[in-house]
Amino acid sequence: MSKPKVGIFGLTGCAGDQLAILNCEDRLLDLVALIDIRDFPMASSDGNQECALDIAMVEGAVVTMRDARRLRAIRQRSATLVALGTCAVWGGVAAMDRDLDRAKLLEEVYGELGKEYDSCPARALHEIVKVDHNITGCPIEKEHFLAAVASLLNGDPPLYPAYPVCTECRMRENNCLLIERGELCCGPITVAGCDARCPQLRIPCVGCRGPVTDANPASALALFEEKGFDRERIWARLRTFAPVGVAS
Amino acid sequence: MKILKLPKGKLDLFASVVQQFGELHAPVEQDGKYVFKRLARWPDARLEYDRTILPPKKYFLPPRETLFRYRPGEGFVPSTDGLDQRIVLFGVHACDVYAINILDQVFLGKYKDPYYQARRRNIAIIGIDCTPDKQCFCRSMRADFVDHGFDLFFYDTGDYYQALVGTALGDDMVLATGNLFEPVGPADIDAYKERSWNKRRAFHLDVEIRDLSEIFEMEYESGIWDQLGRKCLSCGSCSMVCPTCYCYDVSDDVELGSRAGKRTRSWDSCLYFNHALVASGENFRRDRASRIKFRFYHKQRGFVAEYGRPSCVGCGRCVSACPVNIDTAQVIDRLRRVEDVGSR
Ligand code: SF4
Ligand code: SF4
Ligand code: SF4
Ligand code: SF4
Repeated sequence: MSKPKVGIFGLTGCAGDQLAILNCEDRLLDLVALIDIRDFPMASSDGNQECALDIAMVEGAVVTMRDARRLRAIRQRSATLVALGTCAVWGGVAAMDRDLDRAKLLEEVYGELGKEYDSCPARALHEIVKVDHNITGCPIEKEHFLAAVASLLNGDPPLYPAYPVCTECRMRENNCLLIERGELCCGPITVAGCDARCPQLRIPCVGCRGPVTDANPASALALFEEKGFDRERIWARLRTFAPVGVAS
Repeated sequence: MKILKLPKGKLDLFASVVQQFGELHAPVEQDGKYVFKRLARWPDARLEYDRTILPPKKYFLPPRETLFRYRPGEGFVPSTDGLDQRIVLFGVHACDVYAINILDQVFLGKYKDPYYQARRRNIAIIGIDCTPDKQCFCRSMRADFVDHGFDLFFYDTGDYYQALVGTALGDDMVLATGNLFEPVGPADIDAYKERSWNKRRAFHLDVEIRDLSEIFEMEYESGIWDQLGRKCLSCGSCSMVCPTCYCYDVSDDVELGSRAGKRTRSWDSCLYFNHALVASGENFRRDRASRIKFRFYHKQRGFVAEYGRPSCVGCGRCVSACPVNIDTAQVIDRLRRVEDVGSR
């Protein structure tokens, strides 16, 4: 059987997820023995930009028309499309205030020149094309990437937690920052997978992995208000990694 | 059952002797809360603790464990990691011992779980009596006293610990100390009875569990479940910290480039969206309200039908771990009330 052809791409993002892949150092050789990486612009500039792909992995949000065109082209040449990282899955930081007047923002920042720029409100990949699998995280956990490749090679969909950070936080028997210290911890509504990295270090979760399946933001909002945080601060925290109204 | 007493001043000596029966673990402080942990030194033990964040369940059914490794064509090799490690758990409260006895019914009943069984065999339990706080309702749940499931159980009677010897291993521990333990006399019996009486009166909470199962049956359509469903975050904390929540999920981690891998089990909770999701895509408990309702029904009704008593032991952990203050004792209380806002 020939090796599956894979492409790894970045739209608008920090490249952290692609870096996480390159950071799989000791596994990279195993990886290239199993998959044929045809197009990975960040790692090599002479990829094949036309061929059909079995799997495309795409990092970053869509914030320009050029991003959107690239994404559509990638989708067209790929059998399976995987969104890589919180920006691709949820819109991420770039999408935080996407409801603000774009033209005005461009003018404020770039003055007259702003009008010329190719810029649109940030969107997650699934808002533009069909996405088959999501690997969330800011950045992704490299173990999740490797596990996803292992599953996809076997024809299985990769599986991720449908429970929030609190679960892993409790499993590690941490003191609860929200209950015991009254801190604004987004653990109850953020999807797990990071092994509660931040609360483990006594830093409240800022929700970088995006919302958990079936999150209950209304109750979380009421809870945070009850703890004395004002609405503005709560909203600022909640929309940092996933804008209002984005559904996965 | 043998009953003896240990002079309080000799406790550290006793602790040093029981170390020959396994690695000593006891509650230690962690930022104002307590956790069961391997003792670096005996003075770190906090025997007057209220409750640990996680119950001793974590020793018998770890949050995550590898069950076996498999390789197509070769079969599977069960994991034995840590199963033969000998541990002495010092300072387990009655409700937590009771909870372990409940887990025994599940994991050592009709289908024996070899992993649980091995750990249960190799981990000794020395219980200690406690004073209830505002979240304890173990007496209501009939779990404020245990008569089995431990090797030794200590009651603080002032100058002594009165010790119930529960097993042959407990007896060996007593013998290993030479003559540290003494027989009890009439004054000790009175001291024990007084302590027992005082403990009974120290409870702040009182819920009635007689006919509770039936009341749950009647209140299946109560509006209270929707109210709780709107509040619950499905964070799963209540299940993680519960000494009797035993649901687990099983998943395979495949190796890169083969169909071999390892099978892992990890704690699960009926509060999660996918707990009742099946392969066809059907989800039997899609609404959060139906999930939190299920948690209550399983503990207070389903378990009663199957094992003759609620699985809840009233330890109060879920109450302290719930970010939105969903309080088991309060819910039971509300269900029992004649006119309640939530009812119908
Ligand atoms: S510290 Fe945060 S993540 Fe951990 S249990 Fe509390 S709310 Fe959840
Ligand atoms: S704890 Fe929260 S902020 Fe920290 S890595 Fe996990 S999801 Fe991100
Ligand atoms: S349901 Fe709550 S009170 Fe009852 S045993 Fe579990 S954690 Fe303790
Ligand atoms: S701890 Fe509270 S909010 Fe979290 S799942 Fe349990 S009942 Fe719901």
